[in-house]
Amino acid sequence: MARIPLRDGLTPWLLPLGIVLGWQAASSAGLVSTRFMPAPLDVIAAGWQLGRTGELWANLWVSTLRALAGFAVGGGIGFALGLANGLSKVSDRLTDTTVQMVRNVPHLSLIPLVILWFGIGEEAKLFLVALGVFFPVYANTLHGIRSVDPQLVEMGRVYGLSSWSLFTRVVLPGALPSIFVGLRYALGIMWLTLIVAETISASSGLGYMAMQAREFMLVDVVVLAIVIYAGLGKLADVLTRWLERTCLAWNPAYRTV
Amino acid sequence: MIATALRVHDTPVLETLPLWQPAERPVQEPPTRARSRERDAPGGLAVTVRDLSKAFDGHTVIENLDLHIPAGQFVAVVGRSGCGKSTLLRLILGLEQPSSGRVVLESEGVRPPPKRIMFQEPRLLPWAHVADNVAVGLGETGTKAERRARALTALGEVGLADKAGQWPATLSGGQRQRVALARALVSRPGLLALDEPLGALDALTRIGMQAMIEEIWQAQGFTALLVTHDVAEAVALADRILVVEDGRIALDVKVEVPRPRRRGDPILAALEGRILDHLLQTHAPA
Repeated sequence: MARIPLRDGLTPWLLPLGIVLGWQAASSAGLVSTRFMPAPLDVIAAGWQLGRTGELWANLWVSTLRALAGFAVGGGIGFALGLANGLSKVSDRLTDTTVQMVRNVPHLSLIPLVILWFGIGEEAKLFLVALGVFFPVYANTLHGIRSVDPQLVEMGRVYGLSSWSLFTRVVLPGALPSIFVGLRYALGIMWLTLIVAETISASSGLGYMAMQAREFMLVDVVVLAIVIYAGLGKLADVLTRWLERTCLAWNPAYRTV
Repeated sequence: MIATALRVHDTPVLETLPLWQPAERPVQEPPTRARSRERDAPGGLAVTVRDLSKAFDGHTVIENLDLHIPAGQFVAVVGRSGCGKSTLLRLILGLEQPSSGRVVLESEGVRPPPKRIMFQEPRLLPWAHVADNVAVGLGETGTKAERRARALTALGEVGLADKAGQWPATLSGGQRQRVALARALVSRPGLLALDEPLGALDALTRIGMQAMIEEIWQAQGFTALLVTHDVAEAVALADRILVVEDGRIALDVKVEVPRPRRRGDPILAALEGRILDHLLQTHAPA
């Protein structure tokens, strides 16, 4: 991989940087009321303050753990069921219709029910994140396996590959691009679900931090939370891209530009 | 013609090797390797087809077909689209089950050599490097190092040793089909079925591939079964040409022209004309 020239590496950041600078200028000039929209420097100061007391890190850590746990559970079940239904007609007949019905229920509409079931404990968040993540992973894994080139599968059979080899060397690699699409969707839904769940019912986490700040009119902390969401989204995106480039290096569409 | 087939079949592979010297390839055949190949290659599989029929949904594709192919023979099967030639090939390979009748494959050795097919498309795994694609031809046998060594040898035979570490997407169409040929050959098959493998290639690449297939067949002595639309290709390569019509063998011609054959040889041209006449005549509109 050739090293990306510094200038090309900076180009994507020109726009966000410009927006922040313009925003700061507008605040300093008094064009924007800091009561409703704090200046970037105030947000940084709030971040520094919360970081020093450790409150920010504790909340970030709690949210990350919840997100990952929910992702692991929901993604794991979705991946397993996607594989099962892609490979076995019996399993597909038995479960696919049910999954497609449940899929059309917006999972966030279950929040009242989930609060009744689990209260505002960890289980509620885990359940919601897992449910949200499950569907994109399931649907894309299934689609990936179904769209593997049947000519390659026939070739593998004729050339005497065992079922396991056929799966690991032909079917799974063929399904991988689609599985990654599911992964990207799932990561987006993971944050969305978690933040909504924490905003409504929680006693810790980033969403809780933002809601508390609203109560006390700490606009800078609210904006700080939003900026952190943006950063986490970018981080998830970078990780998936890296995974795609590593695992799909054979595919010209994913080769490093 | 039998003389041609028998020469390849009866004489040790070593003696036919000098015939097989592609110009651009460095001489890389130490005597030890040739000898071990002779021991490994158990010669071709003889094919016997008895009263074979195949029907799909009541529609008969192959009807009461009898055929014997001696081990090591190069047979070309020609015919119009839908005449059943590809089905015959798939039946002989065991990719389809016959409706009635049977196919028997016999070899001299104790352990029968594998049978392999080369498809019209390369069917390479896009996510595996070229060498790993070739190693697929070994099925589940051997250690990792052995598999790699054999894959590299087979790649050398098709002149692509330097592409071992590349992705299939970076190769040209002709190179991909050569990788597919290496994959078919890496297990030292006793029967190689070629289902119009050169159909999608341009004319020059095609002629090069034909020469390569002929050279490798002469060196290894497997039985070759080539299904093709191209009568000129059949005439240039085969010991024997079968014309299939309506699920039967309508014509069984021997090509008694010694190898290496020259393109434009008058005997070959006459034979090509005869077969084409036959194909066109029998299907002329009434």
